[in-house]
Amino acid sequence: MAARAAKVARGWSASVLGVRPAACWLPGLTQVRWSRYGPEYRDPRVEKEHYRKPAAELTEEERYDRELRKTQLIKAAPATTTGSVFEDPVISKFTNMMMKGGNKVLARSLMTQTLEAVKRKQFEKYQAASAEEQATIERNPYVIFHQALKNCEPVIGLVPILRGGHFYQVPVPLAERRRRFLAMKWMITECREKKQRRTLMPEKLSHELLEAFRNQGPVIRRKQEMHKMAEANRALAHYRWW
Amino acid sequence: MLVLGSRSTRTMLKEITRLVSMVQKAKHGEQHEGQHYRVPLQDVKTVFPHGLPPRFVKQVKTFGEACLMVRKPALELLHYLKNTNFAHPAVRYLLYGEKGTGKTLSLCHVIHFCAKQDWLIVHIPDAHLWVKNCPDLLQSTYNRQRFDQPLEASTWLKNFKTTNERFLSQIKVQEKYLWNKRESIEKGSPLGEVVEQGIARVKNATDAVGIVLKELRRQSSLGLFHLLVAVDGVNALWGRTTLRKEEKSPVAPEELALIHNLRKMMKNDWHGGAIVSTLSQTGSLFKPRNAYLPQELLGKEGFDALDPFVPILVSNYNPKEFESCIQYYLENSWLQHEKAHTEAGKKELLFLSSANPGQLERLCAYL
Repeated sequence: MAARAAKVARGWSASVLGVRPAACWLPGLTQVRWSRYGPEYRDPRVEKEHYRKPAAELTEEERYDRELRKTQLIKAAPATTTGSVFEDPVISKFTNMMMKGGNKVLARSLMTQTLEAVKRKQFEKYQAASAEEQATIERNPYVIFHQALKNCEPVIGLVPILRGGHFYQVPVPLAERRRRFLAMKWMITECREKKQRRTLMPEKLSHELLEAFRNQGPVIRRKQEMHKMAEANRALAHYRWW
Repeated sequence: MLVLGSRSTRTMLKEITRLVSMVQKAKHGEQHEGQHYRVPLQDVKTVFPHGLPPRFVKQVKTFGEACLMVRKPALELLHYLKNTNFAHPAVRYLLYGEKGTGKTLSLCHVIHFCAKQDWLIVHIPDAHLWVKNCPDLLQSTYNRQRFDQPLEASTWLKNFKTTNERFLSQIKVQEKYLWNKRESIEKGSPLGEVVEQGIARVKNATDAVGIVLKELRRQSSLGLFHLLVAVDGVNALWGRTTLRKEEKSPVAPEELALIHNLRKMMKNDWHGGAIVSTLSQTGSLFKPRNAYLPQELLGKEGFDALDPFVPILVSNYNPKEFESCIQYYLENSWLQHEKAHTEAGKKELLFLSSANPGQLERLCAYL
């Protein structure tokens, strides 16, 4: 978290804004994504099971850890984390990406309607299918959601690199979080832009998720195009220096 | 209890939570509280062409079966209905309760029971639909001051016909009615003709509805059949409307012919049946969201018109009913989330829905 937050930009100098320098401080550079917490703050632990363990069951390390945390500073837990058993970080991230103008209520209701739509469609198929096919049909909307996004993740990406006055699209391996982000971003863009007039988001999104689950559909095609472009530009791969 | 043949391990659960009784509707008793019973799909098409709440219709379509839970308010009503004295004036029953507690489905349970006992059912699915969002208001030909609603009246007549096919040929009209200069209904012709005329000529549909209600009221007192008047959202009859006349002045409910006739139906000056109704805040106009008591929703005028009535409170699930509902969803594999099968998951569902049936259904839909 701290390493990622030190993404720097040129412009205002650090001392002018009164920003406290964290991990790396370079003259003339300001952090873009940073947090008000200093490096001594620890992340909070929200699991109920962790706090409900009776004192007798704790190991030495855990006891030490608990004592330590009593004296340390701890960041505040974000409002979106719950102790709910039904909480899913991927679904939360997707809901946040779908949100517009801070309207989390609407984004969450769209997400729940999508999951319901996926479930109902799968149930319909299940009812119409024969006994052998029924074993293969997946009715859990969460499994379908996770699998669909995993199928949409690209393995390799393109990055514009400036060389000799021109920008070249260089194929580059992507980090895990970048891949997840791209999959979700493509899915949401596809559902927002390419839909018929008067189709609602849950309807379109459930349709796209089911297609991605089966490795078909426009989002999978976009991933495959990205792979093809990377393959086509593989001669430029040596422009990458990291 | 019937054991459903070859469904292996889940048969035990089914015995606990399900009571598959297609014929023994009259035998629902205290011991069946909390259990589900299946309504045959054929009955759903005839008895409930328009009565079920939309989310329930979706559930019926997804599961392929319609299962209602037997609950205390419905059992109470059934007990009263079984012991009605048809010589006395019709008793008015009012189901009230907070939002999502199951008033409409209890009403549907009662309607199904009465349909099985061969009563004639006059079911208005939602009276609020008649006082709002009506683009075509015609001035009534029968009475200059009132307004007709051709669309709503004709749809209702179609559904009425589906529910009560067999009675339409038996009941005869006892008066001559003139539609216009050329068409009329003679005395002694079957009620089916009035309904046909209303469906075919949409302009006369509201008057046809008025005639049907008047004739049924008159003839149920003669004892040929038992009449059940079931109105959902009865507080619409005495509230305000959002409809406006051409001069942009608001329309009062009395000025709508459908509402006027329905109000006459709700008076207890006829005998030979019963009136069961539900209050509903969900579709109501100009009422606060947390109002659920009869006094709040009906207003002074409505309360005085309905007084005296038997109020029946519909409340949230008790622990047994909640468990039964969860078991029903688990049997149909509706709860797909792995954690929903665990104790912690069930406790969380109880907390999130606070045992409210409507909320629980919405929660389980996406889990």
